[in-house]
Amino acid sequence: MTAKKTAKPRKAPARKRVKSVKPAPLEAEIALPSPPPSDKPPIPPPRPSEEELAGQIHALEERLDRMIDAAKHTTEPPPASVRQLPPQEPAEKAVFDTARELLSTDFYLRKWGRLGMRNRSEEVDDFGFDPVYEQKVMPLFNFLYEKYFRVEAVGVANVPGEGRCLLVSNHSGTLPYDGAMLKTCLKREHPQKRDVRWLAEDFIFHFPFLGSFTNRVGAVRACQENAERLLRQEALVAVFPEGIKGIGKLFKDRYKLQRFGRGGFVKLCLRTGTPVVPVAVLGAEEATPMLLRIESFSKALGLPYIPVTPTFPLLGPLGLVPAPTKWKIMFGEPVHWGDYGPEAAEDEILVSRLAEGVRASIQAMLDRSVGERRSVWFG
Amino acid sequence: MKPRPFRVSFAPMAEETNLAPKSSSVVRPRTGAHVVAVTGAASFLGTNLIGLLEEDDLVDRIVAVDIKPPVTAGNKTRAYAVDLTDPSAEARLAEILAAERADTLVHLAFLASPTHASAWAHELESVGTMHVLVAARHAQVRKLVMWSQTLLYGAHPSNPNFLTETHPLRASRSEPFFADKMEAEAEASRFAQRAQGSVVTVLRTAPIVGPTVHNYVTRYLARRIVPTMMGFDPLVQFLHEIDAIAAFKLAVDRDVPGIYNVVGEGVLPLSTVIKLAGRFSLPVPHPLAESLCALGWIAQIAEAPPTFLKYLRFLSVADGQKAWDKMGFRPAYTTREALLDFTSAQRLRDVKLLQENAA
Repeated sequence: MTAKKTAKPRKAPARKRVKSVKPAPLEAEIALPSPPPSDKPPIPPPRPSEEELAGQIHALEERLDRMIDAAKHTTEPPPASVRQLPPQEPAEKAVFDTARELLSTDFYLRKWGRLGMRNRSEEVDDFGFDPVYEQKVMPLFNFLYEKYFRVEAVGVANVPGEGRCLLVSNHSGTLPYDGAMLKTCLKREHPQKRDVRWLAEDFIFHFPFLGSFTNRVGAVRACQENAERLLRQEALVAVFPEGIKGIGKLFKDRYKLQRFGRGGFVKLCLRTGTPVVPVAVLGAEEATPMLLRIESFSKALGLPYIPVTPTFPLLGPLGLVPAPTKWKIMFGEPVHWGDYGPEAAEDEILVSRLAEGVRASIQAMLDRSVGERRSVWFG
Repeated sequence: MKPRPFRVSFAPMAEETNLAPKSSSVVRPRTGAHVVAVTGAASFLGTNLIGLLEEDDLVDRIVAVDIKPPVTAGNKTRAYAVDLTDPSAEARLAEILAAERADTLVHLAFLASPTHASAWAHELESVGTMHVLVAARHAQVRKLVMWSQTLLYGAHPSNPNFLTETHPLRASRSEPFFADKMEAEAEASRFAQRAQGSVVTVLRTAPIVGPTVHNYVTRYLARRIVPTMMGFDPLVQFLHEIDAIAAFKLAVDRDVPGIYNVVGEGVLPLSTVIKLAGRFSLPVPHPLAESLCALGWIAQIAEAPPTFLKYLRFLSVADGQKAWDKMGFRPAYTTREALLDFTSAQRLRDVKLLQENAA
């Protein structure tokens, strides 16, 4: 008797739940199929059909109902364990508790805190790339790519579908949109939709707001350690060896490639056995034509220079909006340096020769396409 | 006697996660001759490490050195009251180590959070380490395990995303909290050079968070409104308290000389950390924050002096690959899991459902 009673409060809600989920058909027979006695080794029972299951559940419900009815008619006092339970709180008190929780500022603070995560992934990769945030930003990049710069991609098939690879590109634009466009280009045009991690200059990476934004969409601070780590993870990495000298180019020097650093990218590729794909970006150099560089008091702002373009600083922040030039991104044939071996990275003559070779091939691509181009705005 | 929650909960977990993948580098000492001395025994790490060692059959005796006995002290532990800031500490410590024939010394007498008493902190950390190391040489201790922190790499715009052990320590020397610890590390490396044949292991832990640990990081994240630097969102890294203790246990068990970064896997942007902790962030422009933080530090409402603000702007994330390969350290918690574990305990503390004594 006591066993039945203690079982009652626990099983009753279970019965209700079953009923609400799957109502048993009324015509189902109450039959509890028991396995036939046999001396054979037990074979796996056939999977009971849905009606059989419903019938079993129904039968169990009936039994429970009978037990509950029997318990109602008894006058025996409940066992000690039941009596010791605290009396249930009146419904009004529960309402007040809920109301108090709803009215406390803590509740809203907590909710707001979680709500703030709707634009973010809870986990980012090693370098801070946030896929959810990227999804939110992609429409903007797509608009720039498709409608604004009307980017034309040539030779995307030269980028390998998998494995480590280094894209080496010319760099331009006061605000470097080329990294973002290169990323969008491969995301859209490449058959494998590869993710590009591009290496950004220090000053961009640590500029307030801009730095955390570029980091979340996939940029990484440019340094040998980071690039090597990315390549060892078989990533597709884009570098701009011109660096600050590239984006700080004056309008009159457009499409004249600057010095390629100290050939760091060549050493990196030799050490890690990475193929190089030269990339030429056409049109970006006219998007924000820089007429003048002010370097006298830029240090105070943490910038290498203050650009003077036809619209900036004349129109304020609005002046930083790039001109809608027609862009063309060209991917050259991949270059493999695997034969030289990792120790060749110490050979400075070889390194500078290889760097110069890549620079010359990008310069040639640029010169050819600048010559073929009829209009800056329409290509 | 106080309850000892760690001895029950920590030991099996650590055994499973970190001690299970035993490589060939495991050197088990001859039985019955493993005497471990722990300085800073009443600190968070010390208390819990002693709890673990108490359960280890290979450890014969534990020598706890601190100004008060650890709460986890059991039958094996002998507690000695030694104040490392005392000039006579060196002689006394050497005497104790020799009398107990300690073969392993775990040096944990460092401050986990910055303090206003910088002169005392200097005596404890920098001078105290000198005392401890000289005493260890006198007593011919075979192995030294020392605690250090990845904070000492410093937060710089020129840091790579993952700092390896070979990277120089570039934290601000003007901050006594860092300077003392860097001096202690320098002492340890000199000790390793001089005392040939002894094993010196330095474990640089990432900021430790967890449900029971208390330090300036957990206090910072326990604020209702968490100040951040406007426009900056660095990636940060945490280490769960269980993993921190397990790493020290691992260093006691195995002979792994060298410096190791002990970090949880993965990184999170600071803004995500604050959101996961369910807090509000208050972005402050960084030129202004410097002076506000200095004021707050003087008024004792800020957790840390303004030199720590750089860690809210720039990267200081360490690479734990070496500990994974050489030490066989397998953190049980990722950065995110460690943070969530801290957060769930902090929620209970917020509504006063959980109260405990600060360790």
